Amino acid sequence: MSEAREAIPVQRPWMPVLQKIGVPVISAALAIAIGSIIVWISGYDAAAAFSALFKGAFGGPKQIGDTILRATPLIFTGLAVGYGFRAGLFNIGAEGQLFMGGLAAASLGVFLVGQPWFLVVPVLVVASALAGAAWAFVPALLKARIGAHEVITTMMFTYIGRYIVSWLVVGPLKDEGMIPQTVALAPEAQLPRIQSLFSADTLDALPFLALGRAHMGIVIAIVVAVVVWLILKYTTLGYENRAVGFNPYASETAGISVQWTTVKALCISGALAGLAGSVEVMGVHHRIFDQFSSGFGFTGIAVALLAKNHPLGVIPAALLFGALSAGAGTMQLEASVPQKIILIIQALVIFFVAAEEIVLWFVRRRQKEAMSHAG
Amino acid sequence: MLGDIITPDLFASAFRMATPLALAAIGGTICERSGVVNIALEGIMLTGAFFGTAAVLATGNPWIGVLAAMAAGVAIASVHAFASINLRSDQVVSGTAINLLALGVTGFLMEFWYGHPGTTDPIAVLRPIFSFTSPGGGFFAEIWRWFNGIVLSHTPIVYITIIIAVLAQWALYRTRWGLRLRALGEHPRAVDTVGVNVYRGRWIAVLMSGALAGLAGANLTIEQVGSFTENMTNGRGFIALAANIFGRWTPAGSYLASLLFGFADALQIKLQVFRDVITVPPQFFLMLPYVLTVIVLAGVIGRAIAPAAVGQPYKKG
Repeated sequence: MSEAREAIPVQRPWMPVLQKIGVPVISAALAIAIGSIIVWISGYDAAAAFSALFKGAFGGPKQIGDTILRATPLIFTGLAVGYGFRAGLFNIGAEGQLFMGGLAAASLGVFLVGQPWFLVVPVLVVASALAGAAWAFVPALLKARIGAHEVITTMMFTYIGRYIVSWLVVGPLKDEGMIPQTVALAPEAQLPRIQSLFSADTLDALPFLALGRAHMGIVIAIVVAVVVWLILKYTTLGYENRAVGFNPYASETAGISVQWTTVKALCISGALAGLAGSVEVMGVHHRIFDQFSSGFGFTGIAVALLAKNHPLGVIPAALLFGALSAGAGTMQLEASVPQKIILIIQALVIFFVAAEEIVLWFVRRRQKEAMSHAG
Repeated sequence: MLGDIITPDLFASAFRMATPLALAAIGGTICERSGVVNIALEGIMLTGAFFGTAAVLATGNPWIGVLAAMAAGVAIASVHAFASINLRSDQVVSGTAINLLALGVTGFLMEFWYGHPGTTDPIAVLRPIFSFTSPGGGFFAEIWRWFNGIVLSHTPIVYITIIIAVLAQWALYRTRWGLRLRALGEHPRAVDTVGVNVYRGRWIAVLMSGALAGLAGANLTIEQVGSFTENMTNGRGFIALAANIFGRWTPAGSYLASLLFGFADALQIKLQVFRDVITVPPQFFLMLPYVLTVIVLAGVIGRAIAPAAVGQPYKKG
């Protein structure tokens, strides 16, 4: 008995936290390392590429602003995919919901000209969330009622949504002129740039506030991330979401409606992805066109996985991918390394996080076995 | 006008459009029957399409391109196999990583080798095997025209696909390999107990799906389009997965379901020609295959039963 007791591993309260943060950090570092090796093997100057990447992402306030700019929609899509994962659902079609969210903001914004901004901005943000949720509703219903796999249906809805947008911007919603895009939003419907909130004197005194194109969407994103975290942690809605993701059968037995929870989870996920569309439209482009998203919905998958589906973890994960995407342009310009290397790094991150999961699971199992032997 | 739409060419086009879907769908069938979900079909197809094109550009020989496409498909599928079988990663997550990896690798190499993004130079393509001329007018000439158009007008991989569908159907239900494969996806523990290597069985299945999806990519570039464009698969891998489900996880069913999607695709291409008569924006035609996929899934899924152990990693006992 006393021998067995010694088999219990020493409890270190900081270990779980370190494991949680350690795995993503190691995964990201490994992925970037392998990405660099690929760059080096391809005969590029890896050091120059790296320093260009870093310069493009963090070289100055304007570059940091670019990183924030790109991280903003990624926080929303990362939250969207992560929320779905927490309920055991894989919303691979966040891109389509993002398009519908952007479409709602861009088209509705035109009708709200002349209203005060504190009315227009919330209306457009809520409208884009509803549009994203609506775009996830049919896949959600099909999943809940007949078990149609959400990976296929949300993907199909992404293509359908993209074609709808590309029709509207050449057809009914087209602005005058040659370019297929909608009419620009009025200033009161736009999210202001962060640097525009400060006077020229303040910016002179505090140059780090001159964050270039970064806009107030980042504030909304962080607030929403905290709200999603609170919902998951402290509300019945969040509890049921996690319970169904953890074990649907046990949840059903415990009286939670798995079908209804599934519908809610995928629609909330869609709403979060829709918000990504609204910040891109209201903060960056001020209108919608065919290519207004550079795959933020898909990058959101990598963000969510890197964050291990934790709403607050999504923020640094989104900043990492935002930085990679902001720096990629400079890297291509200065070291002529194709930007596509970023996609490879993203894929590697997903691999390592997925594989590390197994390693950790193993560790926990060993611990459990040791515990059960001890008991 | 109906006579202009319903022509031998429409049905011939349905077979052509069905071919990449069917190859990937049969690959999906074999893979999922072994218990491994393969949402990486999209990325594998794209990889095959790219390396097939690259090999033709390098050698000028389309058949070498076909082999290169299949080899590339097998290579990238082996990553999925290693992650989902040996590492027991979440198979859907691993598949997503493959899809992204394929997009990144093909895009990166496109710029690295050819110096520009977008589309490659045109390549030497595989031509239709037969070329018969139609005899003069009359009833029999008309029948010949239809037969020639629908049955005899195709490129090699279109015929190879039909042969593969028949062979796979036979192998799945009439051979020991097929029985074991199906058992792997239903109850791997039982298969393991009687001494069959579960990992090896699943590895072979995943690699076969890689070869088939790679061949699908070759069909796209080396037979249909004649060049490679970034992300040219455009969701076909996901439609193929739906075709596999609609075909109830059988090779023959996968082929027939693909034929339905292929027909929808052929019809929308045909209808776009009559843009002036049918005043519907082209985007609605382009949407058709994706809408049809959702409708088919909504209609059929309740009655189609997936292999019991699909998606579940197997741990040797």
